[in-house]
Amino acid sequence: MNNGKAIEVQDLHRHFGDIKAVQGVSFDVRQGEIFSLLGPNGAGKSTTISMLSCLLQPNAGDALVMGHSITRRPMEVKKAIGVVPQEIALYPDLTARENLAFWGKMYGLRGKTLGRRIDQVLEIIGLVEQQKRPAGKFSGGMKRRLNIGIALLHKPQVIIMDEPTVGIDPQSRRHILDNVKELNRQGMTVLYTTHYMEEAAELSDHIAIMDQGQIVASGTHDELVKIVGKQDRVELTINTESERVLPAWQAIDGVHKATATDSIITLLVDESDRVLPRLFEAAIEAKVHITSVTIQEPNLEAVFLHLTGRALRDG
Amino acid sequence: MKILDIALKDMLQSFRSVFAVMLMFVEPIMITGLIYFAFGGLGGGGSDGLDLPMTRVVVANQDQADATSGISAGNEVTKILQSEELADFLEVTMAEDEAAARAAIDDRKADVAVIIPAEFSKAMTVSGARATITLYHDPTLTLGPGIVKAVIDGIMDGFSGYKITADITEKQLARQGQTMGPDTLRALAISYTQWAQNQNTTEGASADPTISLRGPSGSRTPDDSPLAGILGPVMAGMLIFFVFFGGAYTAQSIVKEDEIGTLARLSTTPTPSATILGGKLVSVFLMVLVQSIVLLISSALIFKIQWGEPAGVIAMTLSMLVAAAGFGILVASFIRNTRQGGVMLGGVMTLCGMVGGLFTAGFNTPSGTFDIISRFVPHGWALDGWKLAMSRASISEVLVPAAVLLGMGVLFFVIGTMLFRKRFA
Repeated sequence: MNNGKAIEVQDLHRHFGDIKAVQGVSFDVRQGEIFSLLGPNGAGKSTTISMLSCLLQPNAGDALVMGHSITRRPMEVKKAIGVVPQEIALYPDLTARENLAFWGKMYGLRGKTLGRRIDQVLEIIGLVEQQKRPAGKFSGGMKRRLNIGIALLHKPQVIIMDEPTVGIDPQSRRHILDNVKELNRQGMTVLYTTHYMEEAAELSDHIAIMDQGQIVASGTHDELVKIVGKQDRVELTINTESERVLPAWQAIDGVHKATATDSIITLLVDESDRVLPRLFEAAIEAKVHITSVTIQEPNLEAVFLHLTGRALRDG
Repeated sequence: MKILDIALKDMLQSFRSVFAVMLMFVEPIMITGLIYFAFGGLGGGGSDGLDLPMTRVVVANQDQADATSGISAGNEVTKILQSEELADFLEVTMAEDEAAARAAIDDRKADVAVIIPAEFSKAMTVSGARATITLYHDPTLTLGPGIVKAVIDGIMDGFSGYKITADITEKQLARQGQTMGPDTLRALAISYTQWAQNQNTTEGASADPTISLRGPSGSRTPDDSPLAGILGPVMAGMLIFFVFFGGAYTAQSIVKEDEIGTLARLSTTPTPSATILGGKLVSVFLMVLVQSIVLLISSALIFKIQWGEPAGVIAMTLSMLVAAAGFGILVASFIRNTRQGGVMLGGVMTLCGMVGGLFTAGFNTPSGTFDIISRFVPHGWALDGWKLAMSRASISEVLVPAAVLLGMGVLFFVIGTMLFRKRFA
């Protein structure tokens, strides 16, 4: 019905006063894939998600979700999607089961169907034992899991997850990532936003990198990494301000991009084993002491740095 | 159906909140209970458990009996004050003149002075003439002067009834070319006196169809205990204050949902925004309905408060619900966040309660300008309506404040809904 596309985003624009949050974003998500929007905070990911969830009207452009326009058929879109908001949106006074029951009703589920579906979702999110406890008494990770469970109740064709792992412990994060993969294995299309490049790398069939309201690159993980070629990412921590040595390091042959945050300097270099001794020599000349060095092979962080001149964490 | 789901969810949340339950159900009963115990409720003292301190009344009766009709209205007032029925509450002595009565108050030898003017009886018989009974009392006292004022108000209502009857009789006779002679006046006076005595000693308020005497609003009725007569308006004030507070508190859940992100999440479900807002409004209405019913029944059972005839009670309950729900939605529409909401709700509700006279209901309060000011807020109309209902006023009398409340409620509701729709569009 829609060429195998679950979502087709066509030149979306959204501004808030003078701030252009989203500027001409276009991408397609195929049915059954996990598609990640990767970018720093403020890149425009959540605004894009809000428009696809019919929470915000675009100023220009449109998107089709399972063939339904977000501007002309929002109710049909809402039936097809399950949304996991970035902020935990639960009723703290209600138990986990009561929360699921209420949200299930909002998706039109009733009676035994609702009861069965609640049981299944509790199983998926691992809260069967805690179903009668008020959500307000849950740990951050449990709340996140319940937050996801609500979006699964009506078996949506597309699930939209806006940074679902923000601020939780590693164990809960692992649980959520495994859930996302399992849901995808069951045929659900997942649109996932994150600013953690490891999550995007682990989960995604397709990744779009966003920055300043635009998509700066899109493709599979391997396709994106190829953008930076064989450049290694070298992160050095020094004992003083970066300005004392940064110009000298930028001038070294083989250093392509350099970005600094406080005393941490991140460089993209052609061959780290050849460049590294020169970096040390320049540091000694500038009387700067290097306290740690980390070398990483090309990854999404390096891609972002290469494309925007900034590290993902700078966002 | 979804409207009801949203409303029931809100109600469930409210019932799980200790603060909300305390605010909506416990506090009004508790405050009235404190007054109940302060006046000796359940203590067994006095009649019907009422253990009021004796009020010392000094009467300066300067009235001259009307020579033509033989009416001596001043004596009638004095007799009623000295009657056995009031002997448990009033200790009446006589003063020679106004100055002596005032001096008794100033010297703290009496609590209330009742000064009956010289032309009092004449004012009863001469068309257009007026006379004023003056109450002079220690300004620090409220209860004793309140009781005396209630008694005098009742007598004066009766006199007014007599005077209206006399005026009508005189006009009817004039139409037939006759004049009302002293005998007719005397006959009317005897009839009135018998009725007044009957009124004072029996339950015969309705025995005389020619004169319909109704006590002052919220005053004691034949079926009420004296304590219930005092507590009635107090409980009405508490009922109105906390029902309005409950309405606003529940309406504030829209703001709370916006804050915790569930309102936005609701908008991602296939639920129209009108349904979401509708559900919220229904929850406000249902909450105040439950609150009102619980408070009306529990106060009737605990404090023996008689809220009035069923028709009046239903009219007042429904109109108060609409007004409280509408007012709550309007107030909540101005609240930006729950932190601001606590301060704003407390401030607005307390101010409206004070202006509406809710905290002084049942006690001796200033009238005139204050009565006019209280009409600027729905609370004042609600108190008026409940007082009328409790005094068993006719349904047509109760319908006036009820209609005003209803109108105000609908207006508040429309404005509040428009503001919310604009805000969350």
